[in-house]
Amino acid sequence: MGFLAARLRAKFNMWKRFLLIRGTELLIFSLLAALPLLVNSSYALGLLTLLAIYAILLIGLDVSVGYLGQVNLGHAAFLALGAYAAALGVALFDLNLLTALLVSLLVGLILGALLAIPALRLEGPQFALATLSFSALTVITLNELEAWTGGAQGLQINRPPLFNWSLDAVNFYWLCLIFLGLVWVLMRNLLASNWGRAFEALRDSPIASDAMGVGVYHYKIAAFAIGAALGGLAGGLYAFNFQYLQPQSFTYELMVILLLGVVLGGRKNLWGALLGATLIVLLPNLLSNRFTFQMIAAAGLLLTIIAAQQSRPHKQPFQTYAPVLAMALMMAGSLLAENIEDWRKAVFALLLFAVVLGLPDGLIGFITRFLSQLFRIAPPALVAASPLDEVLQSKLTHGEILLKVSNLKCYFGGIKAVDDISFDVHSGHIHGLIGPNGSGKSTAINVISGLYRPTAGALLLHGKALPHGSLYQVARTGIARTFQNLQLFGELSALENVMLALKDTYRCPLPLLLLGFAKREEKRAQADAQALLALVGLTDYARTTAKNIPYGAQRFLEIARALARKPDLLILDEPAAGLAQPDVQRLIAMIKHIHGRGITIILIEHHMDVVSELCDVVTVLDGGKIIAQGTPDEVKRDPQVIEAYLGSAHVDH
Amino acid sequence: MLTIENLHAGYGNSEVLHGVSLKVAAGTVVALIGANGAGKTTTMRAISGMIQPTQGRVLLNGIAVQGNTGAAIAQLGLAHSPEGRKVFGPLSVEDNLLLGAYSRLPALFGFRKHAAAELNRIYELFPRLHERKNQVAGTLSGGEQQMLSIGRALMAQPKVMLLDEPSMGLAPVLVQEVFKIIRQLKAAGITLLLVEQFARSALEVADYVYVMEHGKIVLEGLPSEMNKNERVLAAYLG
Repeated sequence: MGFLAARLRAKFNMWKRFLLIRGTELLIFSLLAALPLLVNSSYALGLLTLLAIYAILLIGLDVSVGYLGQVNLGHAAFLALGAYAAALGVALFDLNLLTALLVSLLVGLILGALLAIPALRLEGPQFALATLSFSALTVITLNELEAWTGGAQGLQINRPPLFNWSLDAVNFYWLCLIFLGLVWVLMRNLLASNWGRAFEALRDSPIASDAMGVGVYHYKIAAFAIGAALGGLAGGLYAFNFQYLQPQSFTYELMVILLLGVVLGGRKNLWGALLGATLIVLLPNLLSNRFTFQMIAAAGLLLTIIAAQQSRPHKQPFQTYAPVLAMALMMAGSLLAENIEDWRKAVFALLLFAVVLGLPDGLIGFITRFLSQLFRIAPPALVAASPLDEVLQSKLTHGEILLKVSNLKCYFGGIKAVDDISFDVHSGHIHGLIGPNGSGKSTAINVISGLYRPTAGALLLHGKALPHGSLYQVARTGIARTFQNLQLFGELSALENVMLALKDTYRCPLPLLLLGFAKREEKRAQADAQALLALVGLTDYARTTAKNIPYGAQRFLEIARALARKPDLLILDEPAAGLAQPDVQRLIAMIKHIHGRGITIILIEHHMDVVSELCDVVTVLDGGKIIAQGTPDEVKRDPQVIEAYLGSAHVDH
Repeated sequence: MLTIENLHAGYGNSEVLHGVSLKVAAGTVVALIGANGAGKTTTMRAISGMIQPTQGRVLLNGIAVQGNTGAAIAQLGLAHSPEGRKVFGPLSVEDNLLLGAYSRLPALFGFRKHAAAELNRIYELFPRLHERKNQVAGTLSGGEQQMLSIGRALMAQPKVMLLDEPSMGLAPVLVQEVFKIIRQLKAAGITLLLVEQFARSALEVADYVYVMEHGKIVLEGLPSEMNKNERVLAAYLG
């Protein structure tokens, strides 16, 4: 009975969630569509059209700012380029409306990719500067190409008819809204798929992304280009909305406002983009009326006080009350200032300051938390685990040479980290790699797994040469690894960490995926990942964000994620480091189980009891050279190994 | 020397410590043992101000320090060598060590001379760090980073030191070294709170032991008592 009730409750929860979320979407979009019929004002209609266009623009900006976590100051330029592309397409080639918009989209996509290819090799401030220069260059170029763009004089354009149907302002607004709806649905599907997880993973750990076969560079460029394409599309709509373009409209100030919109609304969230667009469209109007602005300031003050109360125990006092202070300042200003519009930039600054410190998830984060408490929305139920045998098929091993390392060298300047080592790893073995700290063990496996490029030497897997110096390419050959200094995707849940790495799971082509045909695949991935989490005993942490999982469990999660690559060769880099005794026993059982499924393992470990119990062969390194090789018992008796590594008296072994 | 009373702390909305109380007398070594996820690291973080406790008191030499920033607590003579090393990757080994003594060195000139005695002491303890003093810390091997992390904490000439998994990732021969160092620190009169995966060795150096489970202290006593306790033997001493 209890079981049935639980299932019914889960079903009910699922439907409640589905209805609430889809219902809200439908309600908001219907309301937006109906507004022009209810309010008969051309001014309001203009704001609504701009709202729809900005929402598309911000959804695009959110991909690079929110998901990739890059400070992108070039988005206004894509708006400009899309706008001018559409305008010139109509003026010079007499394109129809939809073709012109397609051109805008493609211009954004292509130029976005072209900018991303060099710029995304940069990080942080350099990337911001590169995009800022791009944006300045765009405005200058548009200014100077007077023959086509009319320069600073501006460019007048006519809105072409949609097929034979000439659009009035209301119809054009609906067209923008339809585009917003399309972008909304397509992006929702994209971001809910493995693409969305990949975008986030890149930000948390590029190294691990490559090691899990998610090519960092490709995904980064794709993400940036998609964002730029949306910028271009918004530009096309912008051009046909105003029917007049001027390069000065797309300068630095617009960029700051757009960033304000994303941060204020809430990053990594479609609703956040819509809310952000609403705010930046309305803000200039709210500033013009003193009373409304005072109301806004009061609401802001109240909101920050509530948020401060909620976060109080976890933060430093200044962090907690700084946003309240900013809003209090704004409130005081609204009462004292003669003309609030003169203080426009100060208002933006205070808002941005308060939001960044007080509401890191933006307004939408605050609202969702509030609503999910109010309606008691439980997170969606997780699907049951697949049978482990389906996820990790057992392989037969015949003891042939799986990995051949010959005369491998890796030098850093004058330091010979790995100095001419050769050894074979036989399939079905657990091959130990031990040695003092700094003896070159980690360097050796970093070379094998492609993180470092070897100075000389050959690596053969299954008799075929391994690619050199590319984690991503090596990951695709059937080698998976864990990291000694954990490289989890901190912002993703444990389940998502494993899902992202799953091999041979995501086959749905992009166009179908955008249309929402990847749901089954996604469920399957969740079930498979659950099976791997169960294998390492982390079922209870499935939903927990990886960075909040206790240390020992994080080590196990690294193993589950590596197993998702379904490897022939698994490299474990100090899996027992920092584990307490009961967890060490669990780890040993786990490695035995994995080995039993025919996976060959290279084990780097300092716990000699673990090495003795598990390894078939042990290679001992010191100073970058092999000093001994043999069974655990043989190397433990070797005087050189005792001298360099084990020491005279064992601790705890 | 260090007393904590009814400490509650956690991350976001999840509470990890549900009222932890313990005492570390001056000049003694106290070991905190427990399974992974029991809350040992969180206890240390809440003591040193890396996270803010939601309830309870932390007394350092009789002064209540809970709610202060990590920097302020460090000024009062508490050094924390965190789990997972956390060295300053782009800086040289020596600069890392000098930063450990930051709060008591002159700001602009002569700080190297001022810290020379301390530096030499650290280099005597860890000759490996001396060999690599100009190397960038991020390129050190895991074990060397661990030595650096302990060395940096020592540079502050702390009265109380929190050592979180000092032997993690070290070769057996260096694990023995670390325990030698812990004995030396104890002989030098430094008060130590120690979290260590090698529970048996930790018990050998400790004067008193607390056992943690699920965010609470479940057992405490002298090492000799713990060595006989069946529950501890089964769960932690393997």
